[in-house]
Amino acid sequence: MDVVVVGGGLAGASTVGALREQGFDGRLTLIGGETLPPYERPPLSKEYLRGEVTEPHLVYPESWYAEQEVDLRLGIRARRLLARDRVVELEGGARVPFDAAVVATGSRPRRPPIPGLDLEGVFDLRIHGDADRIRAAAAGASRAVLVGMGFIGAEVAASFRHLGLDVTVVEPFSVPLERVLGPVLGGAIASLHRDHGVEMVFGDLAERFEGASRFEALVTRGGRRIEGDLAVLGVGVEPATELAGDELAVENGVVVDAALRTAVPGVFAIGDVARHDHPVFGPVRVEHFDKAIKQGEAVARNILGAEEPFADAMWFWSDQYDAQIQMTGYATEWDDTVVRGSIEERRFAAFLLQGGVLRSTVTMDWKSDARRSMPLIAAEARPERHLLADPGFDLRTLHPPKEGA
Amino acid sequence: MSEWVKVADAGDVAEGEINAYTVGNRTIAVANLDGDLQAFDDTCTHQGCSLSEGDLDGTIVECPCHGGRYDVMTGEVVGGPPPESVDVFDVVEEDGEIRIRTRDDE
Repeated sequence: MDVVVVGGGLAGASTVGALREQGFDGRLTLIGGETLPPYERPPLSKEYLRGEVTEPHLVYPESWYAEQEVDLRLGIRARRLLARDRVVELEGGARVPFDAAVVATGSRPRRPPIPGLDLEGVFDLRIHGDADRIRAAAAGASRAVLVGMGFIGAEVAASFRHLGLDVTVVEPFSVPLERVLGPVLGGAIASLHRDHGVEMVFGDLAERFEGASRFEALVTRGGRRIEGDLAVLGVGVEPATELAGDELAVENGVVVDAALRTAVPGVFAIGDVARHDHPVFGPVRVEHFDKAIKQGEAVARNILGAEEPFADAMWFWSDQYDAQIQMTGYATEWDDTVVRGSIEERRFAAFLLQGGVLRSTVTMDWKSDARRSMPLIAAEARPERHLLADPGFDLRTLHPPKEGA
Repeated sequence: MSEWVKVADAGDVAEGEINAYTVGNRTIAVANLDGDLQAFDDTCTHQGCSLSEGDLDGTIVECPCHGGRYDVMTGEVVGGPPPESVDVFDVVEEDGEIRIRTRDDE
């Protein structure tokens, strides 16, 4: 059997690693558009941006791929996947045949049509080269302007403050991460950044980037003019679905079923690019690190015949200053929030419930309870409010018994 | 030379829990799996977080920071981002003490 994995990010690397780990000994090809072997992106907005680490954090050392007989093709993009011919066509026309293919092409930063976006000194952050360019620009800078205060914007703000830059963020909602966290929890993120001296402009939008030859100022819809030495755009990502062509269904990502399968037999999609029909949450496209690894592990099992649904509750973290935020589950709406700890003191676990069912848990400097919520969320548990509110109550005692246990 | 070192009093690690102890220049985690003790290096090989702050699931410990998973019986990585296994150590509970055997190479 020939397996082709398209996409040289964490999900693709996890897939090839898991296939070999699970004993797959057929031909295995990994195609990556970047020139670096697969690496971890989380440090790019944090340790790497701050200059605390200087090397890419590779998922596997480059020599691993040869040792494991993985044909690693870097710096080349797959142009399209031809389902009927069962080949992936690369830039330049070369064709790689497959029995099973995994689309793990990831996502790219959204670039809304804001005038001046292409000025020198205006950046977005996705790949290693972006982080290098931002780091170089920040080295001689004193003022940074950020557009958008999602997780990337918030982490970049924290890193820039650490480097001593003045930071102003423009964010259309009333708090950071309002759509994800709601106004109360988002308010805790705002207070964290306020305490660290970040200037936050809420309820306003980027109108244009101005500068004679390079970025000088951001002008907002509300008429503010915010001067700076560099600007970073962090307004979310969009799935990189070009490969799908007309052969695979695309709807906010490559559409896959619960077991990560497209409608074309033997063709799967995972990671940021996949719009996955999650058994608990329904169709979702999420962009988490841990999920990329676990979907790689799961798709490897499914290529080898397991046909398991991917039902992980999904989990991620965000480090900002010395605060650690964790989140698990998925909720676009909730009708009840139970807190253990204190939002005001920014040490808490917040449980988001809809109709009594635990859908998502958000923690701030509260280490275990996000991960301990995962089996409860996956089981659509209805924990009692007073138990959730009690910091002394161990959520693990509510975990459903394991299958086979 | 390897030698047995007392790290705690017997009974110090509750069932299903993990404690961490400093032994020489490293931190060693001791897990209590239904009464059996297992000792392993506390430092996750991914980004250095303390595994004793993670949770046990059977013989698997999950790193609280980024979700790396190790089998505490062998120290091997069974999932997630860690690039390498962690060392495991001999551990006994006797004469009212929990003792760990340090390695020859330390």
